[in-house]
Amino acid sequence: MTVCNFFLQGRCRYGEKCWNEHPRDERGGDYRGTQQPSRGGYGNRVWINPSQRTGGDYVQPSSFSRDGDNDWSRGGGGADVKSSDFSFSGQNRFSALASHSHSDKDVQSPTDDVDTIQKDMEIWQTSGQWPFSCYSVLPGKLSGFVEVSPEELRLEYYTGRASGDLQAYMNSVQQLADQWRSRVQELRTMSSSTRISVISELNDPSSQTSTHEFGSSASGFGTTSSSSSSSSGFGAGGLFWIQSEILGNGTNYISDFFLIYPHASGFGSGAFAQPPSGFSAPAASAASFSFAGPAADNKSSAAAASSSVSAFSFKPPPGGSSGPADGGGFGQSSTRAADTGLFSAHSDLTAEELKEFTAKRFTLGQIPLKPPPADLLVV
Amino acid sequence: MSLFGANTGFGSGGTGVFGTTTTDSHNPMKDVEVTSPPDDSISCLAFSPPTMPGNFLIGGSWANDVRCWEVQDNGQTVPKAQQMHTGPVLDVCWSDDGSKVFTASCDKTAKMWDLNSNQTIQIAQHEGPIRTIHWIKAPNYSCVMTGSWDKTLKFWDTRSPNPMMSLQMPERCFCADVVYPMAVVATAERGLIVYQLENQPSEFRRIESPLKHQHRCVAIFKDKQSKPTGFALGSIEGRVAIHYINPPNPAKDNFTFKCHRSNGTNTATPQDIYAVNAISFHPVHGTLATVGSDGRFSFWDKDARTKLKTSEQLDQPITACCFNNNGNIFAYASSYDWSKGHEYYNPQKKNYIFLRNAAEELKPRNKK
Repeated sequence: MTVCNFFLQGRCRYGEKCWNEHPRDERGGDYRGTQQPSRGGYGNRVWINPSQRTGGDYVQPSSFSRDGDNDWSRGGGGADVKSSDFSFSGQNRFSALASHSHSDKDVQSPTDDVDTIQKDMEIWQTSGQWPFSCYSVLPGKLSGFVEVSPEELRLEYYTGRASGDLQAYMNSVQQLADQWRSRVQELRTMSSSTRISVISELNDPSSQTSTHEFGSSASGFGTTSSSSSSSSGFGAGGLFWIQSEILGNGTNYISDFFLIYPHASGFGSGAFAQPPSGFSAPAASAASFSFAGPAADNKSSAAAASSSVSAFSFKPPPGGSSGPADGGGFGQSSTRAADTGLFSAHSDLTAEELKEFTAKRFTLGQIPLKPPPADLLVV
Repeated sequence: MSLFGANTGFGSGGTGVFGTTTTDSHNPMKDVEVTSPPDDSISCLAFSPPTMPGNFLIGGSWANDVRCWEVQDNGQTVPKAQQMHTGPVLDVCWSDDGSKVFTASCDKTAKMWDLNSNQTIQIAQHEGPIRTIHWIKAPNYSCVMTGSWDKTLKFWDTRSPNPMMSLQMPERCFCADVVYPMAVVATAERGLIVYQLENQPSEFRRIESPLKHQHRCVAIFKDKQSKPTGFALGSIEGRVAIHYINPPNPAKDNFTFKCHRSNGTNTATPQDIYAVNAISFHPVHGTLATVGSDGRFSFWDKDARTKLKTSEQLDQPITACCFNNNGNIFAYASSYDWSKGHEYYNPQKKNYIFLRNAAEELKPRNKK
C-alpha cells in the first residue's frame, strides 16, 4: 500500500476509510484487510490517488515526472527532471523516483532502441493520436512514415468538396491510413528483417536517402547538404505523392508524381533566394490537381513553360547526382502517358527514353517521365 | 480595464446571461462567449498590442473569413468588422502599432487589413498555402514574415510585391513564432530552425528536435530581462518540449513534459493521446497555456515545472488560444481540428471563442 500524504500532513479526510496507508508507529497494523508492505516507507513517495484528489487545484507533479521513455535525455537535449525542482509542501517527494529511475540509459544500445520503437508503436496504435506523422528514435529517423499535418488533410477535403470530387480524398486517406497501419504493425512485431533494417537506419541516418525519397530529411539535419538535397526536393504537397510513397520501401522510384505546391526554388537546402516571380505561372492550376488518376493531372505541366517545377518524375540517378540545382527543366510539355502499372513495357517507351534508362546516368532535361521497365531496374 | 482585471463577475462564475444549462458541455468552464463566432473552425486568434487602447480580438477561420471583435471592460464582445479570403485563413497577426492586421490564407496570399479604413490589400504571394504570418519590428527595418507549405520563409515589405528576402527551408512550415531578435520555425519532418533577425533575417541554428513526432505549435518565451531565450514546442503526441537556446546546462535545463492525455496515472488502460494545438505564454508572468485536441486547456509554470490548472473537458477540441497584451484575458477557441479526420467533422456544429479572466490563475507557483 502506498503511504497517504494527507495523513502525513495531518489532514487526511478519510481517516480509517482511507485506501492508502496511514503509518503508525507500530507497523504491524492491518488496514482494511490488506497486508501489502508499504513501499518506500515514510514520506518519500508521492501518490495522489486520483479518486481521492480534491478538485483540480492540486499541483499534479506526476505530469512532470520522469516519463517512461528515456531517449530524449540524450542527444536532443532533454533533461532528467530534478527532484529538487518539484516543491510541494516542502517535502522532497521525488527522491525515490529520482534515485532509481535515473537515466542509466544514457547510452542506448540498439536493442533498447528497438524495444522503444516497439513500445512506441503500441502506444501509437492504441492512443488515437494523429497517425500521419513522422517518427524517430534518436539519432535516426525511421522511414515509412508519411508526414501530413491535419491542416493539409483538411485543405484537401475542402478543395475536394468544392470541386465536388470527394472520392479522391477518401481514397488517398484510406491509402495513407493503410500504409500507416501496416508500417506500425510491422515495427511493433519487429520481425528479424525489420529489426535489421531499423537498426541500420538508426545507426546510419544518411543511408536513408537511397531507399526513401520522400520527406525523410533525416539527412536534413546535421549531415551534409548534398545528401539532403536529393531527399528534400519532394513532398511539398503532402498527400499528393502518396501513390509513390506506397511504392516506396521496395522500389526506389515513382511512377506518378503530383506536386501540388511547386517549390519556389527547386531542390534542396541552402538559401536559394530565387524570386518567386518566375514561378508564379501555375498558381491557379495547382488547385485543380486531383490525385484520382494520372490522366487528370497534366494541366499545369502543359502550362509550365520551363522553369516551373510543377510536375516531374524522378528516379534516383544511378550515378548519384543530386538533381538539378536550378530546380527546373523537367516540365516536358508532352503529357505523360497514363500508366496504370508500376513499370512500363519496352514497347511503351520511345527510343530516347529507353536509351536514358539503359544509360549509366540520366541526361539532364531528358529524364523520362514514364516509369522504367521492370527488367531494367537495378535493385 | 477595471472589471476585467479584478475578481468580479465575468469569467469566474456562471452569469446565466448566455442561457446555457449546466449540462451543456460546450462551455463547462462557464467562460464568456464571444458573440458572432465564425461559422467554421477557428484556426488562429490574436489580441491587439498594447500600443492601442482597448482590447480587440482577431480570429481567422476555415470559413475563409477574419473577424474583429472589440472586447469591452465589462466582458461584452462587440463584432466590429470582417474580411474575406478565397481560402481558409490559417494565421493572423497585428502590426506593432495596432493599426493593421495581417492575415495568411490557404489561397497562397497574405493580406494587410487596415482597420481604420477597413480595406485590405494583398502583400504576399507564395507557391503554396501560407501557414504562418508574423510582424517583425526591428530598429532598422520592419517587415512581415510568412512561412508556407512551399518550404520557403519570405519577408515582405508591405509596399512591394516582391519579397525582401526568401529563405529556403528543408520542409513545409508548420508553425512559427517571432520575438525580436529571435524567430523559430518548426517544419515537417521534425525540422526546427532558429533565425536571428538583427540587421537582416538569417538562419542562426538548426536544432535536432527534442520530440519524436510531428511538430504542431511553437512559442518563444523570454527571460527576466524580457529577452527571448528559448521556446516551447508542442507535438501531436501530447508532449511539449521546453528548449533554451543557450542554456548553461542543456541536459538539465531542457526538458519535455506530457500533457493532454487521458488517464493521468492509471497505467492499466491505454492512454488517449491528443495533439497540442497551440501554446501561449502569459506576457507578464511567463507561465504558459497549452490547448489540445482533447478539448482542455492547461496552465503550466515551466520554471517550477508544475501544472497550475487543467480545465474541464469541452465537447470539441480547442484549436487556438492567446493572451491579451496585459495578460488579463485568455481567449481560446473551441472547434474541430481535424484530429480524427473527416468523419468527425460536423459543419453544423457551432464553434465558440471563450474569454477567461487570466490574471489570477496564471501566477507562477512559488518555488520552495
